[in-house]
Amino acid sequence: MPPFSLVTPTSVEEAVAELRTVAPGEVAVLAGGTDLSFDLDRAGPSLRRVLSLRRLPWRTLDWNGPVLTVGSTLPLRSLEEDPGISRRHPGLYQAIRAVGGVPLRHRATLGGNLGRASPASDLLPVLLVLDAEVDLVGPAGSRSVGVDRFLLGPRRTVLAHDELIRSVRFPEPRPSAYLWQRVRPANDISQIAVAAAFSPSERRWRLAVGGIPPRATRLPDAEQRLASSVAPTDPELRPMAEEASRQLPIAGDRRRASEEYRRHLVGVLLSRAVRAAAAHLSEGAR
Amino acid sequence: MSTFRPRPDASPKLAGSAVYGMDLELPGMLWAALVPSPTAHGRLRAVDLAPARALPGVVAVGAADVASLLSGAHGDAERPVFPSETVVFRHQPVAAVAAPTLERAREAARAVRVDVESLPVVSDLEDLFPDWPGPEAEGSPHIAAHVRAHSGDVEAVFRSAETVVRETYRTASVHQVAIEPHACLAMVDGGLWRVRSSTQTPFGLREDIASLLGVPEEKVVVEGTWVGGGFGGKNAALIEPYALLLAKASGRPVKLSLTYREEFLLGRTTLPSVVRMETAVTNGTIVARRVRLLLDVGTSLPGRDFATGYSIGFLLGPYRTPAFEVEGYAVMTNKPAFGPHRAPFAPQCVFALESHLDHVAREVGLDGVAFRASHLWQEGTTTPMGQTVGPFGLATALERARATAARWRAEKGPDAGVGVAVGFWSTGTGAGGEARLRLSPTELTVVQGEREIGSGSVLAGVAAVVARATGLPRERVTVEYEDTAHAPFDSGVFGSRTTAALGRAAEEAVGSLLEELRRRTNRSGPVRLSVRNGEIVVTAAAGERTIRDLLSDSERRAGGLVAVGKHYGKGGEIDETKVDVGTFYPYTDFTGAAHVAEVAVDRETGTVRVTRYAAFHDIGTVIDGATAPAQVEGGVVMGLGTALTEEAIWSEDGRLLNAGLLDYRLPTLGSVPPIEVAFVEGFPGAGPFGAKGLGEPPIIPVAAAVALAVRDATGAHITELPLSSERVARALKLL
Repeated sequence: MPPFSLVTPTSVEEAVAELRTVAPGEVAVLAGGTDLSFDLDRAGPSLRRVLSLRRLPWRTLDWNGPVLTVGSTLPLRSLEEDPGISRRHPGLYQAIRAVGGVPLRHRATLGGNLGRASPASDLLPVLLVLDAEVDLVGPAGSRSVGVDRFLLGPRRTVLAHDELIRSVRFPEPRPSAYLWQRVRPANDISQIAVAAAFSPSERRWRLAVGGIPPRATRLPDAEQRLASSVAPTDPELRPMAEEASRQLPIAGDRRRASEEYRRHLVGVLLSRAVRAAAAHLSEGAR
Repeated sequence: MSTFRPRPDASPKLAGSAVYGMDLELPGMLWAALVPSPTAHGRLRAVDLAPARALPGVVAVGAADVASLLSGAHGDAERPVFPSETVVFRHQPVAAVAAPTLERAREAARAVRVDVESLPVVSDLEDLFPDWPGPEAEGSPHIAAHVRAHSGDVEAVFRSAETVVRETYRTASVHQVAIEPHACLAMVDGGLWRVRSSTQTPFGLREDIASLLGVPEEKVVVEGTWVGGGFGGKNAALIEPYALLLAKASGRPVKLSLTYREEFLLGRTTLPSVVRMETAVTNGTIVARRVRLLLDVGTSLPGRDFATGYSIGFLLGPYRTPAFEVEGYAVMTNKPAFGPHRAPFAPQCVFALESHLDHVAREVGLDGVAFRASHLWQEGTTTPMGQTVGPFGLATALERARATAARWRAEKGPDAGVGVAVGFWSTGTGAGGEARLRLSPTELTVVQGEREIGSGSVLAGVAAVVARATGLPRERVTVEYEDTAHAPFDSGVFGSRTTAALGRAAEEAVGSLLEELRRRTNRSGPVRLSVRNGEIVVTAAAGERTIRDLLSDSERRAGGLVAVGKHYGKGGEIDETKVDVGTFYPYTDFTGAAHVAEVAVDRETGTVRVTRYAAFHDIGTVIDGATAPAQVEGGVVMGLGTALTEEAIWSEDGRLLNAGLLDYRLPTLGSVPPIEVAFVEGFPGAGPFGAKGLGEPPIIPVAAAVALAVRDATGAHITELPLSSERVARALKLL
C-alpha cells in the first residue's frame, strides 16, 4: 500500500473542490471502503489522496409519498433495518441482505456500490429493475442519471472525475424479488444474481441480471415475454426463461461457473424471482 | 463425558500473547522475499541477482551462492535448495532476497532477472496417461512410484462371478488452508543454524534442514512457535532453508513469511487423482476386487512412494475381500509436490470406495449400507494386506449411524436425502516420542517438544493424560515447551498420534514418577497425587506426605523431581508375500468412523445443502471431553469443503487459477449444519487408557456421506469431487 493522505471534508463544496485539486488517478473516493480497501492494498504509487465522505450529511433515508431517497453514504444495514424497505421494496431488502455479513453491511453503501460499479455487486440488478435514479453533484451543480445510463461497464460509470454521488432515488414501491446462486451460500461472490420487479404505474415487468461481466444489465427481450402478465403462469414463464437464457451477455470465467451453467441458472432464477414478486403483488392487493 | 472446560490455549490466544511464526520480529532483522520461476517447466538460462543487490541493504542468494555459504557442507543432491538447471513448477523459488523492509525485499525480488527457456508443461495426469498406463510406464520419467499387490487368482474369480461392476472416479486438488501461512525467523549464531518456525514437527524440521543444508543435526536448533493450524502442510521444511541461507549471507536474523497467495502457490498439498474400481459379486458377497489409482504427485521426488503406498489400502477399505489386486502409480506433473492434507488422501479414496460399493449393492439389488456392513472388518479379521485387526469399534459405530439414518429418513422432506459412509484410519502410535515430568511442591509440569497447533492435542490432550494418570486436578498440570536443543525428542504432531503416542510417553513418565514416590514414602501399594491445603501430596492407603517433604535440597533448587518417559511403539506389519512391486505402508492401531449426512438438493439448480450431520467415532477412550468433540466438528466442516466447494484449479500451462480465498472456497459458518458427535468407547487402542487418534478420522467419510445423500435425494450418481452445484446439475441432466 503506497502512502497517501486521508482527507475528510465536512461540506459538499469542499469535497468537490478537493477532487479538482488532483489528477484523476491520484485520488480514491472512500464511502464504506468494503470494495476500495482491496484496491488500496495493490494501488500504484500514483495514488496520493483518499477522500472520505464520512462527514458529509448523506447518511439519510427519506420517504416523500411513494418516492424513496437514500443518501449515498447511508450504511446498508440502516436500510435493512428500516421496516419500510422490506415492506415496500422487498427485492432491494433481499439484495441488501445478500451483501456480505452484518459487520460489512454496517460499512457498505449504495453510493459505493454504484461508484465502484463492480460486476460482482449484489445491488446493481435490483437498482436496475426499480428504475433507481442517481443524483450527482459536481462543480456545475447537480444532475440525475438513471442507473442504466449511469453504469458503463466494469468499474466504469458516467461519474466525472470531480463529481460525487449524493443520493439514490426510487420512484415507486414495486413488488420485487432478488435471487442469487453462489458456490457457497454465505460470504461469496454470486455466480449469477437476478432481480425482477413489476411496475404498477406502467403495468409491466422489469428483469435484470448481475454477477456476470461486463456489467449488470436489463433483459428487455425477456421482459417482453411477460408484457401483459401481472401474475405469470408457468407456461408464460417458460418462454421468458428461454429468452433470458439466450439473451444473457456473458464472458466465461471457469473459476465461478461455466457459461452453459449460467445460462441455465438465469432462466431458473428469473422464473422464481417473478413468482416471488407476483406473490408480493397479490399480498399487497389483499 | 466431562462438562465444558475452557481450552488451555484459549486465554493466550484471545489475549494476543500467543506468538505465531508470523508475529516474530527481532531488532535489526531483515525481511525476506522469494524469487519465483515465471514458468511451470523450463531450462534456467540465467538468474541475475545483480539488479537486486544494487538496491540499498539488499542481500540475495541463488544456486551459485549455496556452496560458499555452506562452506564445504554437502546439501541433499536430490533436493537442492535452488534449482540450477531446470525449474519444474510455476513459482518455484529460484533465488531469495532479504532487505531491511518487506517492501524493499519485494522490490528486490521483482528486480532479479530470471531467464528461462520454456519446456512443455505437464499439468493434467490424464494427458500423460489417458488410459491405464501400459508398458510405456516402465522407466517413464513421469512415474515417481509404482506399487502393486495381489492375493488369489483375481482374473479367474472375475470370470466366474455373477456380477462385475466397473467404474472410474476422479478427485480434485485440495489445499490445507491453515489460517497462518508458513512463517519463520532464522539466524546463524556461531556454528549453529537456528530457526523459529510455525511447524508441526520441530524435530522433523531439524532433520530435514540438516539434510537439505548438509550440516550435522546437532548444529541445527529448531524452536517451534504457536502454530496457526497445520493439517499436514507444516510437517517438513518448506521455507526455512531460504531464510537460513539469507541469515548466513547477511549475518542478520531473517524473517520469511509467505503471503497467502504464496501459501497456495508453494504449499505441498493434495493433487488430483483418477481411481478405477472393479468389483466382482456372487450371491451378494464380494468375491474379488481390482483397484487402480493414478495419483498426481506434482514434483515429488522419485522414491517417495508414501502417497500411493499408504493410500491404496483406503481404496480396499475396512471390508473383507478374499481376492484382490491393487495397483497405483504416482505420476509427476509440473505442480508443487504432493503433501499430506489431514488424513492424506483417505477422504478421496473413501469417496470413491463408498460410492462404488453403494453402486455395486444397487446393481445386485441390495441395500448399500447392509451390503457394506456385511463385509465389515471385526476384531480379529485379517486385512487384505495381512494385518490383524485389533479392538475395532467401526461396526458398532455403523450400527448407531444406521439407526440415526433410519430416523432421519423417516422425517425427511421430498428433495432431501440421507447418506451413510464409513472410513478407517490408523493411529500413528508407531512414531516415537519422549516426555519429561517435573514435580514441584505445587505443580506438575510436562516438558516436551511440540507446540500446540490448534487441535488441543498437546496442551489439553497430554495434560489430561497426566492428570488422569496421577489423580491431580487438571489445573495443577501444565505443559511446557522447549526447543530441539533442550526438549526430549518427539516425532511431531501428525498422524493423529499426539495424545496417543506422546501421551503414552507422558504416561510412562508418570509411572516412573509414582514409582519413585512410592519408594520414598515406603509404601507397598499404588500411590496417587492429590492436593491438600494448596500443596501436592502423595496419597496411599497408609496416609499422605507432601511433595515438599519428599524433595531433596538439590531437587528443590532445580524446580522439582524429574521423571522421564519414552514411548517407541511398534509399527504394523503387512504380509510382504502379497506385494509384487513397490512399498506398501502398514497401518497401526485401527480406528474408524461412521457418518450420516442429510442433504437438501435444489432440483432446478443442483445446489446441495447439508442440513444435518452425525458422526460416530471409535476413539478407544475419550481423554478430553471438551476438545474431542471439537476435533470431530472441525474435521467434518473441513470435509464438507472437500465434498462440495474446494478445488484448486490448474491451467494447462501449470498455473494455479484460484490461488486465494476468494475463489478457493472454504466452507463458512453459513454452510455448516448442526453436527451431532458421539463416541464409541470400549475398543481400546495403544494410547494411554486405550485412547486412539482423533485428529484425522473426522474428515475421512464426509465427502462419501454427502455424495451418497445426494444420490439418495435425487438418484444422481456423481463420480467426481467436488459435488459442485454445476456438477450435480449435469448429473440431473439439467444442462
